[in-house]
Amino acid sequence: MSALALTRKKSRLFRELNTVLTVMAREITVFLKSPGTAIMSLAMPLVMMGMIGGNLMQNMAGGLGFEFGQFMLVGMLVNMLFMITSTGMASLVDDHEIDFNQEMLVSPVSRYSLVVGKILGGSFGAIVSMAGTLIVGLIMGNTLPFGKLLLILALSPLMCLSGGALAMIVIGLIKSKKTASMAVMLISMPQMFLSGAIIPIGNSSGVLMILSRLMPMTYCLDLVRAVVYAGTPEYDSVVMFNPVVNFAAIAALTVGCLILGTFFFAQSEKNR
Amino acid sequence: MGMIEVRDLVKQYRGAKTPSVDGVSFGVEKGEFFAFLGPNGAGKTTTISILTTTLAKTSGEVKIAGYDVDKEARRVREKVGIIFQQPSLDPQLTAEQNIRFHACLYGMCGYRPTFKLMPAAYRKRVLDLAEIVGIQDALFKPIKKLSGGMQRKLEIIRSLIHTPDVLFLDEPTQGLDAVSRRGLWEYINDVRNQYGTTVFLTTHYIDEAEKVDTVCIINRGKIAACCSPDEMKRTVQYDPTPKVCLPSLEDAYVEFLNRTGREAA
Repeated sequence: MSALALTRKKSRLFRELNTVLTVMAREITVFLKSPGTAIMSLAMPLVMMGMIGGNLMQNMAGGLGFEFGQFMLVGMLVNMLFMITSTGMASLVDDHEIDFNQEMLVSPVSRYSLVVGKILGGSFGAIVSMAGTLIVGLIMGNTLPFGKLLLILALSPLMCLSGGALAMIVIGLIKSKKTASMAVMLISMPQMFLSGAIIPIGNSSGVLMILSRLMPMTYCLDLVRAVVYAGTPEYDSVVMFNPVVNFAAIAALTVGCLILGTFFFAQSEKNR
Repeated sequence: MGMIEVRDLVKQYRGAKTPSVDGVSFGVEKGEFFAFLGPNGAGKTTTISILTTTLAKTSGEVKIAGYDVDKEARRVREKVGIIFQQPSLDPQLTAEQNIRFHACLYGMCGYRPTFKLMPAAYRKRVLDLAEIVGIQDALFKPIKKLSGGMQRKLEIIRSLIHTPDVLFLDEPTQGLDAVSRRGLWEYINDVRNQYGTTVFLTTHYIDEAEKVDTVCIINRGKIAACCSPDEMKRTVQYDPTPKVCLPSLEDAYVEFLNRTGREAA
């Protein structure tokens, strides 16, 4: 009886959503079982927000026309979501090494569900880092209103999905841990400096301007800043695009990266 | 219609000078117990990987339960279960969490965060299977703490939990003790009798293939023989005078490979 009860036909939508949930739950379980990863997720904000951010605040914050501390705090929050989700995607390489990818790829579910589950699961560590960033920001005297924080939290899955999808394009093709670590740096560093996370990019021009417009994090940051600075006098000097443009750009870049990254991942596993 | 249909299958890995699988054709009927034997590097695992949709073929046609492995890969995946040659468990999860992951990906039940919250039918099935292969005490231990043999047993449970129509066993008893091996084969025979499961086996323990319906030998990527075990034993009599007793399948297999090796040389 039990086998029949269990193999009863479930709808396609149920199975795909269940796959996303299952893969996500696995990532969270693994995160919680790895104290080292959890400690790193909390230590990262100390370096990023505390050291890099603190130094920038002390030396570069003058004459911007807005309060740099809050500008950078928002930048660091989004940067953390991107960076840690990208790092989490590198675990696909670990799964390849222990042959767990075979177990996932032989199952009758969409590859997109597997990848989306992986990204959303990886975003758990990113949320932990985001909380760490807020704590470090609080110690440094930079805070955000609670309502705005909730809005950022509501947007965070979109940010993580965007960051994870971008990471998939590179990580989907990689099979070695060492290369994956370098790839994460390759994805994270240009985003941090060119998308306006810590350095305003309103006056960028030429190649740097083009690169910044190609990066999903530019639009994610701008969208979050539009939420945080809504109704304030600094809005025009901090926010570059209309939120609708930001949302459309995030959606288009995320879907594009997700399709391409998932294709690369599935093909690299199958075409040897 | 056969359960597995393979026609002119070719697989050449990137950068390889010769194909690993070179024009292989065979068929397996529903409910058949099929052994795919061959020396190391003959192309067995490559063939299984293509049949289970985890590896792309270079050319040829492969159908599982009537579904094309390229065009209808998802349908094929619904029909098959596999024990991979290399362990494919998540070492950071417990044994039961690995099974739960598999069961949820096969759509057997919705994901719940703990075993106790999973549906009663799932819990019963897991406990029953764990008892059959003898890992009930290790079910909630992390994989890292299980021996190689225990991990193999867990993979057996995982491959069977969704009651597949075709079960691919790529050296399933590697690392198992004699008692566990016997227990496993008894259970697989029960599954075959109860559900009519088609079993596709590769193994280096040739005695495990004594009772199969068909033995197919692959050597250097090509099919060298495909017949019943008895037929194979008769084909490779050592002496010109027919013996009263047939040799064991292992004797016949080794003799066959030696002979084909000499002919090829």
